[in-house]
Amino acid sequence: MLRIAGLSHAYGDLISLRDVSLAVKDGEIVCLLGPSGCGKTTLLRIIAGLETDYEGRITLDGDDIRPVPAHKRGFGLMFQDFALFPHLSAAGNIAYGLKRLGLGREKANERVQSLLRRVGLEDLDERDVASLSGGQKQRVALARSLAPNPRLLMLDEPLGALDALLRDQLALELRRIIKEAGLSAIYVTHDHREAYAVADRIAVMNIGSVRQHDRPRQIYRRPASAFVARFLGLTNVFSASDNRLANLLRLMDDSKLKGAPWLLIHPAGVRVAGDGGDDAFEFDATIESAVFRGGHFDLTAVAASGLPLSFRLRELPVELGGDLRISLDPDALIPLGD
Amino acid sequence: MKRRARDYWGIVYLVPLVFLGVFYVYPLLSILDVSLRPAGVLDLTAFVRLLTSDYYSGTLLFTVYQAALSTAFTLLLATPCAFVFARYQFRGKTLLLSLATLPFVLPTVVVALAFATLLGADGLFNDLVKTLFSLDYAPIQLERTLAMIIIAHVFYNFAVALRIMTSYWSSVGLGIEEAARCLGADELALWRDVRLPLLRPALLSAGALVFIFTFTSFGVILILGGIRFATLEVQIYYQAVNMFNLPLAAALSLVQIFSMLAMMVVYTATQKKLHLAPVSSKTTAKRAKSLVERLGLNVCVALIAILLFSPLVALILRSMLAAGQLDLANYASLAQKSRGSLLFIAPLESVFNSLRFALMAMTMALILGLIASYMIKRRGRLSRLLDPLFMLPLATSAVTLGFGFIIALDEPPLNLRASWLIIPISHTLIALPFVIRSVLPSLRSIPPSLREAAQTLGARPIDALLTIDLPLLGRGIAVGATFAFTVSMGEFGASLFVAQRESVTIPVVIYRLLGDPGMTSYRQALAMSVLLMLVCAAGFLLIERLRIAGVGEF
Repeated sequence: MLRIAGLSHAYGDLISLRDVSLAVKDGEIVCLLGPSGCGKTTLLRIIAGLETDYEGRITLDGDDIRPVPAHKRGFGLMFQDFALFPHLSAAGNIAYGLKRLGLGREKANERVQSLLRRVGLEDLDERDVASLSGGQKQRVALARSLAPNPRLLMLDEPLGALDALLRDQLALELRRIIKEAGLSAIYVTHDHREAYAVADRIAVMNIGSVRQHDRPRQIYRRPASAFVARFLGLTNVFSASDNRLANLLRLMDDSKLKGAPWLLIHPAGVRVAGDGGDDAFEFDATIESAVFRGGHFDLTAVAASGLPLSFRLRELPVELGGDLRISLDPDALIPLGD
Repeated sequence: MKRRARDYWGIVYLVPLVFLGVFYVYPLLSILDVSLRPAGVLDLTAFVRLLTSDYYSGTLLFTVYQAALSTAFTLLLATPCAFVFARYQFRGKTLLLSLATLPFVLPTVVVALAFATLLGADGLFNDLVKTLFSLDYAPIQLERTLAMIIIAHVFYNFAVALRIMTSYWSSVGLGIEEAARCLGADELALWRDVRLPLLRPALLSAGALVFIFTFTSFGVILILGGIRFATLEVQIYYQAVNMFNLPLAAALSLVQIFSMLAMMVVYTATQKKLHLAPVSSKTTAKRAKSLVERLGLNVCVALIAILLFSPLVALILRSMLAAGQLDLANYASLAQKSRGSLLFIAPLESVFNSLRFALMAMTMALILGLIASYMIKRRGRLSRLLDPLFMLPLATSAVTLGFGFIIALDEPPLNLRASWLIIPISHTLIALPFVIRSVLPSLRSIPPSLREAAQTLGARPIDALLTIDLPLLGRGIAVGATFAFTVSMGEFGASLFVAQRESVTIPVVIYRLLGDPGMTSYRQALAMSVLLMLVCAAGFLLIERLRIAGVGEF
């Protein structure tokens, strides 16, 4: 088990991480999720041993890893730009770490072939890496970091360089391959959908600290702060003192707000009236925008108070500009911290 | 552990700095010292003479004048050719562009001699015209004229301007011109309002570079012009070697050094703008379709071919033919030391000298250049200073360097004046910027993540250096090595100062042979020039083969 306690780091005057604590259990995939510049890549680099000036303590199975140089940690790191060695073939890249282990040529070759099979690139072993497509490069990079059987696998935005379609598909595949290898993994991404698909647990980061750390579904249902909610794409976040909320708050049990500065109206609890939910609040709203997304519509409707609500419907009940009776699940009202 | 590794690198990093300090800064300081305090006390006589004498201000004026003329003619010729290269696709384009660069690596003595054999009174061109029109006098009288010098300078620098402008122009998309056309611009307006204004950064940059090269031109002027056309560079040599007026030579050198520094500042400023090509698009070249286009293209190609090959062909023919007959006696006689010659050795022995010195200079320049490149690449305030620091030898004329060497390194503990070591050392200094400019782009293009990836895969820093850096630097190193070798083989200005008696190099031997009386020495000089040309051409071909996009910043 990898345990990070009270980790802080700065680039000169710029504080990149402050008091980060985190644990990765054996065989678990933890996603570091956050906007760019939040310190997630720095955290990876520190764990990998590529950054050495930090405060705090990182232990692996109880042993402090600070004195261990990067090349002796036995942690696999998959780089955002893949960092494939351009002068080596696909197989040469994968074999690089095996050679450092002193594995014999035959054994190394066997392992390279089995890894190529595992990532679905059997025929490409002698290919020049420059001629590989983005998805193929990503697989070679994965196979290379898996090859020396790392004690911990770290992936830095591994799908960031790929297009959206490929991303969805490969996220699932990554999870399968990591789980099959039985590895503990830290997975860095800024895409919450990717994090949901891959992670066992998610640590949402912002400005150098972990803001929430939980299972994916829990994080989606109960974001802990306005930042987390907004970052997950939950747009109905309002200041608790917003006048447009007054009617709603009157209906709602005031004690629920507990003085929280923000209120999230979770889109999952916004429905068309009559679709169930007995104790729901109901009010009229005008549909202001509707975007067809294939399987559903993304709607914005404005209540009489001027409160705009974003939510999702399978079908468009009335045309744009038409009125709609909306029902709100009381559980959808979530007080948030900063 | 880590601390010790850092200290170790610190010591390695000192090596190129010490080299630069001892063999560059110290000689230049010596020049300053000799010019200001010729007899140990402050004495500005030399400067007063420089400033008050019409003769020496004339030297400076002429230096600027011939450089300006050479630059103007080079740009005038290179601009339309660059347009053709950037805008039209045609067969053999890459080859021609590559071949057009050949003169740039040819030693100045070879180029000077080549033009003498082409355009001299007994040159190939005059012979041809005489035969064609049955004349009994030489119609072209260019020997020892400014025109001859300018022509040789254009030959030399044409490719430099062509390459800079072609590469810049190619990165400017055709879209801009098409937009202007749609807005009603005719061909004239296109040139006036679109093409030339867009090309401005490249014109300025190429112009500045050509001006610098011709400002410091030495071999061409010494051989084709003589003392009548003395530039600063020739005057320094003349004052130091012929008149033994070291204070005056030093004062002239000082003027030279400061002019060069000023010009390098201008050049660097123009170069910065060069990286900002305004708009780029994929289609920048098309096929020549109309009659005018095809005519222009053919004229341009023919012009380059004639400019490029005629002097070289003249040199080869003249070296092999005497009185219309094949005569290789001059080649055969190269192995013998002729009596009454200014030379202490047989001409051919200088080939071994040159090869030996070139290999040594190449090795030293590579080692120092690699270390320096690693120093420069590390980010930080220091490295920003280091890059221009290591480029300084490039901004110092060869004659100034040679002069600095003989006045600085002539007493213990650094008494190298009489040692042949002084030659490869001076060549190393001159080749060092070329090596750095070849290696540094490759080094910078290696993303740090590659080294880090190797580390996370279990590679020690030294493993990463050997298995990642070196293989990826391979081409850059090879290009740098070839540059260093070729530069050393052809180096003339500094060698003329420092090469003594038995240790003379090929270019020095050629110059000495030209000074010897008689046709035999002259024809031997031609033969030696052909040999040197072949060696440098071979080096050049190797560079061109190895050079890939992004390697070498010239």
